[in-house]
Amino acid sequence: MGSLVLSEVARSFGSVAAVRDISFSVPAGTTFGLLGPNGAGKTTTMRMILGILVPDRGTVRWDGTPVDLRVRRQFGYLPEERGLYGKLKVREQIAYFGRLHGVRPPNDVRRADLWIDRLGLTEYADRPCGELSKGNQQKVQIACAALHEPALLVLDEPFSGLDPVNADVLLACLRELQRGGTSLILSSHQMWQIEDLCEQFCIIAQGAVCAAGTLDELRASWPTRVVEVEPATPALRSMLDAVPGAHALPAASDATLAYELPASTDAAALLRALVAAGPVTRFARLEPRLHDVYLRAIGAAA
Amino acid sequence: MNTLAVVFNAEFLRRVRSRAYLFGTAIGALLVLLVAFLPSLVNHASSNATKRIVLVGPPALTVPAQRLLDPDFEVVATLPRLSAKPTVAFLDAHHAGAVAVLARSGDGLHVTVDTRDPSTFPSSFASDLGPLEVALATGTSPQAVAAHLKVPIDVRDVAGRFENAGAADAAKGAAYLFIILLYLAVLLNAQAILTSVTEEKTNRIAEVLVSAVSASQLLAAKILAVTATGFVQLGVWIAIGFYAGSTLTAGVTQGDAGASAGPLAISTGEILLFIAFFLVGFAQFGVLYAAAGSLISRTEDIGSVAGPLVLPVVIAFVLAQLGVQLPNSPVIVASSFVPLIAPFVMFTRIAVTPIPAWQIATSLTINVVVAIGLALLAGRIYRVGLLLYGRPPSLRQIVATLRA
Repeated sequence: MGSLVLSEVARSFGSVAAVRDISFSVPAGTTFGLLGPNGAGKTTTMRMILGILVPDRGTVRWDGTPVDLRVRRQFGYLPEERGLYGKLKVREQIAYFGRLHGVRPPNDVRRADLWIDRLGLTEYADRPCGELSKGNQQKVQIACAALHEPALLVLDEPFSGLDPVNADVLLACLRELQRGGTSLILSSHQMWQIEDLCEQFCIIAQGAVCAAGTLDELRASWPTRVVEVEPATPALRSMLDAVPGAHALPAASDATLAYELPASTDAAALLRALVAAGPVTRFARLEPRLHDVYLRAIGAAA
Repeated sequence: MNTLAVVFNAEFLRRVRSRAYLFGTAIGALLVLLVAFLPSLVNHASSNATKRIVLVGPPALTVPAQRLLDPDFEVVATLPRLSAKPTVAFLDAHHAGAVAVLARSGDGLHVTVDTRDPSTFPSSFASDLGPLEVALATGTSPQAVAAHLKVPIDVRDVAGRFENAGAADAAKGAAYLFIILLYLAVLLNAQAILTSVTEEKTNRIAEVLVSAVSASQLLAAKILAVTATGFVQLGVWIAIGFYAGSTLTAGVTQGDAGASAGPLAISTGEILLFIAFFLVGFAQFGVLYAAAGSLISRTEDIGSVAGPLVLPVVIAFVLAQLGVQLPNSPVIVASSFVPLIAPFVMFTRIAVTPIPAWQIATSLTINVVVAIGLALLAGRIYRVGLLLYGRPPSLRQIVATLRA
């Protein structure tokens, strides 16, 4: 297993700078979320990692060496817009992509059958891919990208267009690859899935990194926290109103008080003060979700 | 197994299993059979229709006439006279195509022919009866006149290229056939490269492929695979051609030198040269079509790039046809060195006339060098074009992209 390092990578198309300056590293075996709005440069970055595009500036290194064809064959790629040979049968298709990445016969077909079984595609194994539903085609594509047990698997919007059942199947496959030590880089607009799956994140906007790190590190830079307190008594309300920088938020119910407080507020001291002011049946300090962190990072970059 | 071999195998199998390929091969095979058998079929039909005749006239004329007309015509009946003007029903009753009425005219012969289709009545009828006309005028026997009219002529080739006129005709036939086969093979298979590249780009398979295979390897594997499928196709057609040739040869009479040489009268050396020019021509058109395919993003745009690319194939086809008749005309000689056209024209010249070895070597060298140059250029276009989406780029954009 190796680690991937991008250093000051840039790429333009004519006068349009798709990626201006991106640096990040993906340690071995890490699942890495590449986030950003449409047109932020995620796909271009992924294509540069895979050698499909050559950076105008900067370097992409795997285990300290430049990513060449030999290295790239250890990678797997699931592009955003799915592509399969419509007339090729499922088993043949998966085995073919495995061979392209160095899996020799008869292992190509053996492994293809394992993936077909794992993805619930057994009844379609000898059917042309063009006859499959979009969800099943996507499963085939996952198998094509992962058959050779890549050291790094790059997935561009892997969940788009999948129904919840198929999204769960994909999630299970990705978790299995995680357990096997494969490094994953994925972009997705499904924040809850990516938050759950990824260990590190890089949020990019307008071709540059605007936030990066683990979720805890991203949260650390978040300036406020939300606290929820029950019951919603006047005594507790006035105590919260008295905290410097506090703002009342609409609560989920009449029995709950919700406040946004500066992140620096000492939660333990606040809880002690609230208990002293009256009975407290519930006190929760909520951490910001990835979605919040993302929106704030994108907003700041705009 | 190296990646080039993996892509080659996959491309080759995908292509030979495709309906378009099987259909194209079948059409080509039919064409070969048609070219081989059509003349004899037409002759056969023609003999059935017009070479069965009824002779009418006094036995003094019809008896020698029947001898002279054999074997060009089959005299199905001889009648001393007709009771009425011949009709179609009369011809049907005798299973004949024509009625020839022979009569003395002065000191010669006059013949009136009533036939179903005057335009197809064989002109050999008049020459066959020529000795009878002379015999009547001179009082000699028709057989003696006929014997004197047969002038033995040997047409010889000073270059020693062909044994006789029949062999030269057979070589021309072979040249025509090969031109058609090369034309078909290039059009069908180069078009297949164009479609394949465009489809891979349209459905984004190209992105996955170039992440695992270099663009130049991908392009090379595609060209090799389609060339191989072209060879298989050509092999099938040539095998059918040889079969048809041997069938025809078995059926012809001795002395028919042209036919006995067979429709594919061609030496092993010429076949090797044909293969060499076929490979070079295929490579040139293949890389051009692949590069063009990589520049378009929608299969609907295939026609817009295929049109201009067909032009050199058609020009080469027409020049090659002319080359069969005029292999040493300056235009044909010059075009036998021009890339894209030479593979068609040079082979045609080789098949029908002796060509100095330096011309063949020069043409082959020029075309191999150009093929390599085109491959390098096409490789760059292909590499860049695979990731260009949207409207087909203008020529200026392509040049700018290549310079970038």
